[in-house]
Order: sequence, then C-alpha cells, then structure tokens
Amino acid sequence: MAWGTAMIAAIATLLLCQLLGEGIHLLTGLPLPGAVIGMFLLLGWLLLRPGERPTLVQVSAWLTAHLSVMFVPAAVGLIEEGPVLAKNGVAIVLATLVSTLLTMVVTALVFHWALTRAERKA
Amino acid sequence: MSVMWHALQATPLLWLAVTLLVFEGADQLSKRSNRHPLCHPVLLATPVLIAILLTTRTPYPLYAQHTAMLGFLLGPATVGLAVPLWRNRALVRRAAGPLLLALFAGSLTAILSVTGIVWAFGGSAQILATVAPRSVTTPVAMALAAQLGGIPALAAVVVLIAGVFGAMIATPLLDALRLRDYRVRGFAAGVAAHGFGTARAFQVTEIGGTFAGIGMALNAAMTALLLTLWAVL
Repeated sequence: MAWGTAMIAAIATLLLCQLLGEGIHLLTGLPLPGAVIGMFLLLGWLLLRPGERPTLVQVSAWLTAHLSVMFVPAAVGLIEEGPVLAKNGVAIVLATLVSTLLTMVVTALVFHWALTRAERKA
Repeated sequence: MSVMWHALQATPLLWLAVTLLVFEGADQLSKRSNRHPLCHPVLLATPVLIAILLTTRTPYPLYAQHTAMLGFLLGPATVGLAVPLWRNRALVRRAAGPLLLALFAGSLTAILSVTGIVWAFGGSAQILATVAPRSVTTPVAMALAAQLGGIPALAAVVVLIAGVFGAMIATPLLDALRLRDYRVRGFAAGVAAHGFGTARAFQVTEIGGTFAGIGMALNAAMTALLLTLWAVL
C-alpha cells in the first residue's frame, strides 16, 4: 500500500519538475529544454531537502534503464530524412566517430592530470 | 480485412504493440550477443519497423502520433538524471575541481569537433544544430536539437552511433593511453558515449560505472548550458 502511493509521489515529483521547467522555459524564453530545467530543479530540491528517497531512486533508475525503447519512434522518423542523409550522411557519421574518440581522449587526459595534481597536494 | 485494418489503425494499440514486440525481439538478440554494442536493440529494431511501415504503407506521422506515449517518457527520464548525481554527491564533491575541469574540456571538445567537421563538409545550420549535442544522452540531445532548429530523429541516430562506437573503443583506447584509474576511465566513457559508455563501464568495474553515470549526467547539463550560451550569443 505504502509502496503504491510512494510510487505515485515519485512519478508526480518528476512530472512536477518537468512542468515547472516547461513553465520557466515558456515564461522566460530561456533556450534550455523544459525537461533539462526540470533536472536542475530536481537536483536543487534533493540537495536542499535531505533524506533518503528509495522510491524516487527506483523510478528514475527504471526510466533510465528503459530509455532505448522510448526513442525508437523517433529513430523510425529517419524514414522521412532520406534526402538529408543522402546529402550529409557521410560527413555526419565521420564527424560523430572522430568527435567521440577525441572527446574520450581529452576528458580522460584532463581528468587524469587534474586528479593527480589535486591528490598530490592533499 | 481492409475494414478491420482501418479499425485497428484508428487507435495507438496496433503500433504500440508492434513497436514493443519488435523491440522485445531485438532485445532478446542483443542479450544473446552478450550486449555487444553493434547488436543494440534500437539499431536492430529501427530498420525492421521502417520496413514494416513501408510495406503496410503507413505514413510516419500516423505512426509517430500513435507511439507518442513512448517518447513522452523521455521527459521524466531526463528530469530523473538528477537522481544519480544526487546519490553520488559525496563522490562528486570529493573530486569536484578535476571533475568540472575535465567535464568542461570534454564537453567543449565534443561540440567543437563534431560541428567543425560537419561544417568543413559544408553542412547547413540545421545539420550543425542536429549534431552539436551528439555526446549527451538521447532525450536531452533530441530536446536540444529541436530547440536549436535541428532534426530530433537524426540527432537520436547520431547519439546512437556515438554510443555504439564509444562503447567499442573505450577499453582499447584507454589502455593505449595507459590510464589505469577506473574513475578516469569511467568518467571519460560517460562523457564521450553517455549511456552506452556507462553500460560498458559497469561491465568492467562498479566504480568505473558510477563515474561514467556521473559523467553522463553532468555532461547533459554542461552541453545544454554551453549550447544555450551559443544559441544566445
């Protein structure tokens, strides 16, 4: 019983944060997507109100674990992007591969360097 | 037969069921491949669903409308990315300076390299807006692409390619760089290859997976802020 209501409360929390985020997005014209603003709002709320939140952890972990199926309909939308792909497909794939490799190298090297420095000082 | 087909096309039931069935089949294959990145269920399910739409002559807008429920969940899932960050706040705080520095460098590298190469190939502003968020988790990338005037469907696929490739190169690449700290290895995988990098890191070590998850969530926030700044300027 308690499980059921806690679950609804967790879902409501996520939806409320997104709703507030969308509201802020529309009112201020801030070019951040509403859901991303909602993410910041939830983080702020969690940090300001200490306490364990096992159900919220479970619900958001469940959502993250099933992200794949949620974007299938969008990926199927490629069906309408034939001309764009024919024109830019090669450049997009090449850029994505190179960028992924570079990002991993830069992130790893900078983090390693900064961690080593910080931990030597400590 | 035709009457029945039209009746079934009138509600979300048919295409939701087809989508979930195809996805489930793809997921079984992916499990059997021991979750090899190239056998990702989305990579397998998408062409099958496209083929089904083409053979049944179903217009994509109808399919999109009927499966909108699935896409709707991307919103709350994005908000929920705050939760793992909050849970790991002690780890984040302990390495806050180096984490933020590496995050900033990685996020900027991701945006500049992908847009730079596409721009060099003569990509339009619409294509640049589509690829710019390539290193962040799909829901955020799609929202950012839409916000910037790009193509969300294409952004989802770009993110998918980055994830598959990133998960495949992480171990050999980080070995070649002689980095042995699993915090560093995980974080780099999460920043460069979002959920795919995180899943891969968790296969190797718990601490690497945790740092990858932190990298993925932080990078969603950082990329959103950087691209927003870019859009405003």
